[in-house]
Amino acid sequence: MTSNARIVGDRWVSLGVFAAIVAIWQILSIVYTAEAAPGEPMVAGWQVLFTKTFLSMSDYWPGGLGVPSVAEGAPRSYLAAALSLADHSLQTIVRLALGLLAGGTIGLTLGLAVSWSRWTRRLVDLPTQFLRTLPLLAMVPLFQLWFGTNFIGEVLFVAYGVGVIVFAGAVNAVSNVPQIYIDNARALGATRFAIYKTVILPAILPEMRSSVLLSLGAGWGAVLGAEYLGAQSGLGFVIVYAQQFAYLDRMFLVALLFVVYTSISYSAVSRLTARMLEWAPPSQRN
Amino acid sequence: MPANVNSRMIELAHVGRSFRRADGATVNAIDDVSFVIPEGQFVCFVGASGCGKSTLLQMLAGLLEPSQGDVVVGDKAVTGPGPDRGVVFQKDSVFPWMRVIDNVEYGLKCRGAPAAERREIARTYLRHVGLPHVERAWPRELSGGMLKRVAIATVFANGGRVLMLDEPFGALDYVTRRQLQDVLLNLWNADGVGTRRTVIFVTHDVDEALSLADRVMVFRAGVKVDDIPVAVARPRTTDSLLLPEMVEIKRTLLRHLGLDHRVGVDEAAP
Repeated sequence: MTSNARIVGDRWVSLGVFAAIVAIWQILSIVYTAEAAPGEPMVAGWQVLFTKTFLSMSDYWPGGLGVPSVAEGAPRSYLAAALSLADHSLQTIVRLALGLLAGGTIGLTLGLAVSWSRWTRRLVDLPTQFLRTLPLLAMVPLFQLWFGTNFIGEVLFVAYGVGVIVFAGAVNAVSNVPQIYIDNARALGATRFAIYKTVILPAILPEMRSSVLLSLGAGWGAVLGAEYLGAQSGLGFVIVYAQQFAYLDRMFLVALLFVVYTSISYSAVSRLTARMLEWAPPSQRN
Repeated sequence: MPANVNSRMIELAHVGRSFRRADGATVNAIDDVSFVIPEGQFVCFVGASGCGKSTLLQMLAGLLEPSQGDVVVGDKAVTGPGPDRGVVFQKDSVFPWMRVIDNVEYGLKCRGAPAAERREIARTYLRHVGLPHVERAWPRELSGGMLKRVAIATVFANGGRVLMLDEPFGALDYVTRRQLQDVLLNLWNADGVGTRRTVIFVTHDVDEALSLADRVMVFRAGVKVDDIPVAVARPRTTDSLLLPEMVEIKRTLLRHLGLDHRVGVDEAAP
């Protein structure tokens, strides 16, 4: 069998596993009929999830775009439900994206600062070592009290969770850059800034790739964590709100949506970084 | 010697370098070394491994500071690395994240040379080292010998008047090594206008030193123990190494390396 045919064969296996999981869930929903509250099954079958549960998402539509909200007396509709999911997803994704950007930039800058000079090392090392030992989840209530439930606080929380991982990854990756490349750049006349730009940054990329993927997972976790605590929008808000009424099917639907988003973001980042690593041996690109 | 040639291109005066070992003891890697090298000379540093020749080269390159003494290159005290001195390292130093041509023009780019000009220079030297066809290749696609050619093209393109090579061909097979010696000598000979560049070539291969050098300096335990001119005409062939004067120098070098006692071992064996 050629390797191409093998890849196609592997895909069929993955697809089969996926179909099996879907089927098992459906069987479970038929066999296990316990309810969390009257009319609210613990395990909702697909026929429920894609009709009643999806429709119920219109409850979270705040109105606008000519589509009235349920709170204003309008009936549930698929349009309102779709708009609602899109709106809350967007809120979450914007918080995540800004948090990733801020946390990644700050984490990387501080990580590079550790090796820049003895002064910057002294300046950065102790506070960041202290910060990274603080458990992220223990900081949730603190952030809530500091920033309330506003947008900036949620973004900062994500940035913090991401920044710590990127910082640790960067410090480690920089220390692994072979001295020969730095010596070579110096001997060819590169300034310190040029060395960081043309040697250190590209050289740490293969190692930073795993840190970035790791921080993406942490970012998704952090943005949900931030939204659980009193946000008025976003997917985390929908889950917490549904939990208060024991709407297990709604929680499950949002969780599914979440799986889709995280998968897409992982594969997007993975492809992007693989393209940036065109120069590296294949083992460092997969 | 023409008047415009600097007769004291490289000057070391009582240079020493000591290291502190993990157990606290101080080791003198280089101890009171002095010499003068005129511009355009091809000098080989020879010595057993650990004799301090690489340390000396690093001090000349400005990558390491001497503990004592002065290092002067081109009438300026060496205080750090500079583009007036090029280094070809023992290990592969070609940046894997840059295409071959970008590697060759790296130094020129660092100094702000215009894009078209530096590309032209880089192409010229890639041609000189026989690699015009791989300018867009990634270094991972090249063999060890080709990477060394890229490294040589890079230091020549950078324009330094003093080139230092630290056992550059040590890890290569015999055929590739011979080819690269020719590449280096051709560049040294034909390249540039006017005077040749000054070359310091570190090696532990006596034959390599004899076929390349104008002058061989021998180091042992951080001390310069001999300084031998090699006056045999160029181009040198395999036969040049058999000339009586060459054989005499080779004997001297082998004696310095502690290899002379091997002669006669077989006869003494039972």
